[in-house]
Amino acid sequence: MSVRLKGTDSAIMIRWIPKYTTVERFLHWVHTASFIPLALTGFVLFAPWLEPLAQGAAGVTIRLIHRIAAVFFGGVPIIYAILQPRRMVLNLKEFLTFSQYDLLWLKGAFPYYVLGRHEEMPPQPRFNTGERLTAIVLVLGTLIFGLTGLPMWFLKGVMPVWLFQLAVIIHDLMFIITFAMFMVHFYLAVVHPMMWQSLVSMRYGVVSESYARAHHAMWYYGEKRAKEMWEQHRREAGH
Amino acid sequence: MTERLAMYIDTSKCMACRGCQVACKQWNDRQGYVPGVRETHNVGTYENPLKLDPQTWTRIKFIEYDDGERFQWLFMKEGCMHCTNAACADVCPTGALKYGPYGIITFERELCNGCGYCSQFCPFHIPQLEVINRLTGEAKSSKCVFCQDRTTNGLKPACVKTCPAGALDWGDRDEMIAKAEARVEVLKNERGFPKANVYGKTQLGGLGRIYVLTAPPEVYGLPADPKYPAISTLWQKIVQPVGQAVFGATILGLVAAFFVARRNVHMEEVE
Repeated sequence: MSVRLKGTDSAIMIRWIPKYTTVERFLHWVHTASFIPLALTGFVLFAPWLEPLAQGAAGVTIRLIHRIAAVFFGGVPIIYAILQPRRMVLNLKEFLTFSQYDLLWLKGAFPYYVLGRHEEMPPQPRFNTGERLTAIVLVLGTLIFGLTGLPMWFLKGVMPVWLFQLAVIIHDLMFIITFAMFMVHFYLAVVHPMMWQSLVSMRYGVVSESYARAHHAMWYYGEKRAKEMWEQHRREAGH
Repeated sequence: MTERLAMYIDTSKCMACRGCQVACKQWNDRQGYVPGVRETHNVGTYENPLKLDPQTWTRIKFIEYDDGERFQWLFMKEGCMHCTNAACADVCPTGALKYGPYGIITFERELCNGCGYCSQFCPFHIPQLEVINRLTGEAKSSKCVFCQDRTTNGLKPACVKTCPAGALDWGDRDEMIAKAEARVEVLKNERGFPKANVYGKTQLGGLGRIYVLTAPPEVYGLPADPKYPAISTLWQKIVQPVGQAVFGATILGLVAAFFVARRNVHMEEVE
């Protein structure tokens, strides 16, 4: 894509690199559109001060919305596994691959994202350390939500009460973790000034070449080359 | 101290006529025999129905008990205990179940959203969930409310009023305890029930039902020391407040991070 600058003859060429498939982007937004109502309706039973919304017909509606949204939320990974099983396995493998650079990333994350110092960030594959940790919690969270939610839905009164009680509290704990994580995800993806390309990538499936180079060097250059460049950068910086 | 009322239940006087079951259904408008819907089948016991259900808030439990010396056929009136520390009212997210006057755990059906937590946290497994639609989750909880409409207006519960054997009484809780203790002494010393005991005086902070039993509580299926569900405490006193604190802290942290980042990030350097 080329952008012609106003009043001049020069143009900026941006090379776009595909990052997400159409299915992935579509499912991401289905996931969003189901997670938010799930969290909000769940919060009604979670926070005692929202009692009026939990009462009577309002409460019945809220519990119904929670169930409908849950079907979509649970459907996302299933549809993904059916439509693009190889992509799913590839992503899961990448989520679970960690290296020595991840500790460096975690160390550099606060100065980087909050203070804007990006020179110290180590090279990262297609998903950085934070994204991979988030993804792992999300995968486990989805499983746990399903494993506790479905029995509470269909086996209430059939399953032993201690198991139901355990399911309630685990469901709530998972909600606390995933909703806090969602807020951070929303902040970094939508609000944070440096991360404007994440919304672009979830809309059009692409990131710019310069973004890929700066944020995901191991993906852009390949692991070996990225590591060499990082070592060289460190030497030059006098480490 | 506000007045606490209680139901006195003398199992040694109960003759299992089940007039209390009938009176309960009549006053509280619960279904009895409905052809094709609620039918009775002989399964070899006089006990009927076989367990509490949304239409049956109280029932007489029949127990055949052989203590090694003699055989007893025991009858026990089952129903909501109206605990001082009531897990059902604590976990109810709607306020449909709450601590009402006179220590009664009252129920307002129109507030109930059918979540069923009460049925899952009661140590006595009393509240019954009337599932209207399993898929949509539509349901209503249901339990004995000590005829809240009668007792808050100075009347006795319907079951107490109807009992022909004098096995039931209703009144000030301390008086009911004194009456039960006196009755236990009689049963022990004069009637040959050495194991007679009072149940409900201390359990879960004190129950709204004071039982006179002629055999150990376990024989009747009553836990000698029922426990308030620990998960309920953990859930409501720790997980829920901590969760809200986590959400609040996350929002505050992100807002602060945003303003710091906006000052420090130079957009001309951003790729």
